[in-house]
Amino acid sequence: MKNLSNKEMTSWLFLAPVLFIHLLVVAIPSLSSLALCFTDWNGFGKINFVGFENFLELFDDRVFKKAIIHNLIWTVLFLTVPIALALLAAFLLTGVKRFQMFYRFVFFFPYILASIVNCLIWKYLFHPIHGLAAFFKDIGWESLATSPLTTKETSLYAVAFVDGWHFWGFLVVIYITAMYQVDESLYEAADIEGASKWQTFRFVTFPSIRPMFLFSFLIIIIWSVPAFDYVYILTSGGPAYSSEVVANFMYFEAFRNMNVGYASAVGALMFVYVFTILGFFWTLRKLGWEI
Amino acid sequence: MRISENKLRGAVSNHIILMTLALTIIMPIMVLVFNSIKPDEEFGINPLGFPETVRLMNYYDAFVIGNYAQVMMNSLLLVTGTLTVCLTFSSMAAFSLAVLNPNGKATILIGIYLLVGLSIPAQLFILPLFIIWKNLHLNNTFIGLILIYSALNAPFAVFLIRSYMVQLPRELFEAAIVEGASTFQLFTRVALPLSWPVFLTTGLVVSLAVWNEFLFAVTFIHNEEFKPISTILYSFQNRREENYALISAASIMMAAPLAILFILFQRNFIAGLTSGGTKG
Amino acid sequence: MRVISKSIFYGIITTSFLFSTVAVSKTQISWWNYSNEGSGLNAALTQYIQDGFNSSQSEIELEIIFKEGEYNEATRTALLAGVGPDIVSSSGATYVAKYVEGGFLKSLEGYAEKFGWSDKILPWAYNTGVFSDELYSLPKNYESMLYFYNKTLFEENGWSLPTNLAEYEALAAKIQEKGLYPFAYGSSGWQMTHEHLAGNYLNTVAGPDNVYKAMVGEKEWTDPEFVESLELLKKHMLAGYWSGSLENYYAVGWDDFSAQFQNREAAMLQIGSWGFEIATGLDGKSDDWGWAPLPILTEEGGEPNYQLSVGGTLSINAASKNPDAAAEVLNWILTNKDTIIELTKSRNFGEWLMPLYYEEADFAGDIEPKLRDYLVDFSERTGNGNYGYTTWTYYPPEAGTHIWKDMEVVWAGDISVEEFLVEQQKLWEKARKNNELLPIAAR
Repeated sequence: MKNLSNKEMTSWLFLAPVLFIHLLVVAIPSLSSLALCFTDWNGFGKINFVGFENFLELFDDRVFKKAIIHNLIWTVLFLTVPIALALLAAFLLTGVKRFQMFYRFVFFFPYILASIVNCLIWKYLFHPIHGLAAFFKDIGWESLATSPLTTKETSLYAVAFVDGWHFWGFLVVIYITAMYQVDESLYEAADIEGASKWQTFRFVTFPSIRPMFLFSFLIIIIWSVPAFDYVYILTSGGPAYSSEVVANFMYFEAFRNMNVGYASAVGALMFVYVFTILGFFWTLRKLGWEI
Repeated sequence: MRISENKLRGAVSNHIILMTLALTIIMPIMVLVFNSIKPDEEFGINPLGFPETVRLMNYYDAFVIGNYAQVMMNSLLLVTGTLTVCLTFSSMAAFSLAVLNPNGKATILIGIYLLVGLSIPAQLFILPLFIIWKNLHLNNTFIGLILIYSALNAPFAVFLIRSYMVQLPRELFEAAIVEGASTFQLFTRVALPLSWPVFLTTGLVVSLAVWNEFLFAVTFIHNEEFKPISTILYSFQNRREENYALISAASIMMAAPLAILFILFQRNFIAGLTSGGTKG
Repeated sequence: MRVISKSIFYGIITTSFLFSTVAVSKTQISWWNYSNEGSGLNAALTQYIQDGFNSSQSEIELEIIFKEGEYNEATRTALLAGVGPDIVSSSGATYVAKYVEGGFLKSLEGYAEKFGWSDKILPWAYNTGVFSDELYSLPKNYESMLYFYNKTLFEENGWSLPTNLAEYEALAAKIQEKGLYPFAYGSSGWQMTHEHLAGNYLNTVAGPDNVYKAMVGEKEWTDPEFVESLELLKKHMLAGYWSGSLENYYAVGWDDFSAQFQNREAAMLQIGSWGFEIATGLDGKSDDWGWAPLPILTEEGGEPNYQLSVGGTLSINAASKNPDAAAEVLNWILTNKDTIIELTKSRNFGEWLMPLYYEEADFAGDIEPKLRDYLVDFSERTGNGNYGYTTWTYYPPEAGTHIWKDMEVVWAGDISVEEFLVEQQKLWEKARKNNELLPIAAR
């Protein structure tokens, strides 16, 4: 083992290509963009230094505050429903031989489709005049007779639902990749001992896919930060900002209101948030969690 | 005997649950399929049901108007290029993080760096990147776009592959070292061959991301001849008159190559399992 | 090193793609336009403008490149980097103002003088492209807000078009009694639809004189006329004038409201002049249609006005290597009225209706007479000074976004109309302070 871990230099060499392109494409441009958070640049004209003014204004911005809360709700939703469904489906899939490929293909299919297509399908399913809502109206279920995308109580959940509908099949594929790493003999042993399905999952499958599970957990938290396209296409954050999320807010400030400096301040706060989350995970790791 | 009965009952309940889940996907997708063979005029009155008149010409129209043959070739080139660059670089990095130095400070720092990278919305850096790319003369080139896609997908690929490589038995590497393998040989002869299932999954996810990517494509490509496939959906969609029939037909044609890729990749995957993928 | 890498990249591209290179001797002019392949815009522009211009002379080769999605963003990114097309198209004065501020556009003053452009374009439209006394953009199409109505349905029920607020509300009630929507409309897919309604009510309730005063700073947006306008809009919105309810209005998009209007689900359509495209969809069906200017929604009514709007512009990139050739292209367009009329006709007059001096003779042949009536009426009324102001041609960026984006908050009941207008006023003051106001047609 000594032989392996001593090769600090070699390990850096293996990392170098990825780091190089990522620094060039993402890090350097992002940092130069973030530097604008202390300015009032509108994306076209002169650049004036304004200190922390953008941040003070942001902390006072009711739409921004709303967007942050929505992002947190969004994160919690995605950490629960799609993960639970995907774990269930992936685990059940390892137990069936027939139709396995069919199920996997079906679960994954929405993830293949472009976001505007998925949004189109659901916009019409939700449609109050032509869609399921009209059907519910006909049978007298008035509370379901409007599109959930258009009422401020439900819009955020409706958008998250459509995004989650297309996303969870992706998690199935990820988990199933990991589940194939599980030693077949462990399952046989569990079977012989008469373990229930839940016990098999709890004591055999789950511990084996733990790294992949934690990875998916972390990545969902991270991916919830820039969540944008489904919101943008389905509601643009409306009605009345009821489905506004931070990335859409930032996009809007930068490209519609022409407040590039202000948008950069939003970007800077996103960084702070992500670092906090990662710091939290790091602490857990230091406390002895295997991540 | 009891066990197999249990198993049988288990299999039936498995199928019931799985089929229920599958139906929540199949039914909305059927709407898409119906719409792809519906005349556009019928949408305002019948957007969900089976078309009154079936119009298969939607596919032909989308193929011709969208210049499908060309945009698909362009996207194939982008996917192939990105897979080559991204998977090579990412697997090296994953190997470094998972095997060479799994507990070092570098691993944690790089891990944090890449995770932060995943959280950055494109709108934040696309403009400065455009200026850099212009100065490097990478604008309006496939190479330029392939480098961008490789970088954007690298963090995810690195982590996915790493999560798999971490689970590989350490003894295998130690045995190889005893036999005098160099670090590079550990990578090519031990790590890569053992991790192929995760490459199929990562390759699939990266291909998909590139195939469907639109924002960078439309910003960085300025020639009609270089347009990738993701632009055709947007060319049928506009503030006025979204041509749903053509969008639906085009989107199914757009998904078809990926669906085939999925079946190819994931079939092999199962074959790998039954032939004892874990025996190493 | 740079030369080497460049040639390598180009080498790879040319080997992957054998695109035909055009004869080198011609001057190449590029133009980015938004893309709408599904409805045939791309083909029409290529045919009428690109091919039409290229065959008219042998010095310059024009290529129109279609940018999908939000083309203003792709354009802005390219302009900032000092590249982009020779001919820059934009969605309106808001963008032009910003491009001018960034120094991305070439002043067209010299060309305008040389080619006599001010004699070709209607003055109010020409002025939307003038910044600090210099011309920077040409208006690509003009629009106004109109009523379209199902004439047959109106005749069957003995309805007539309203001329004041009382008649307007009475008509809406009658239509709703019939189980129809007074207006087909909705904002799905285009949230900015709200600003059409906001502008309509500001211009027909408070009236264009007040709107003008508020824009130039002689009045405040918080004044009672404006509060009254938006209160009325809110009342009508919640009463379901547009597609039945606020929720339906949010859920309905272009195809839906077109179908509603064409299939007798709604009696009228309150939309921009691009709605001719929808109304002509009734041709060939048993129902006849008509159009009218928006009625004045006060107790006593009044002389209707047309809101002025320029919905698209053409400019020359400051970084263009061949601005003279680009100006030749623009001049060719302005001097070929026949081609432009053919082009706009192929788009059902929804796009490319350039604000040129048209004469009766220009519309010989098979042009839709209702449209000709509109064009004539528009120039007569606006010529008499009876014009109002669309938000998207005259509002500075932030106030222009606020008027539709935050209108939803008013409709949701989260804030009052007064609170909304306090914010509007603030944004106008900020824009005035930062010198961001757009050229405003005087009264």
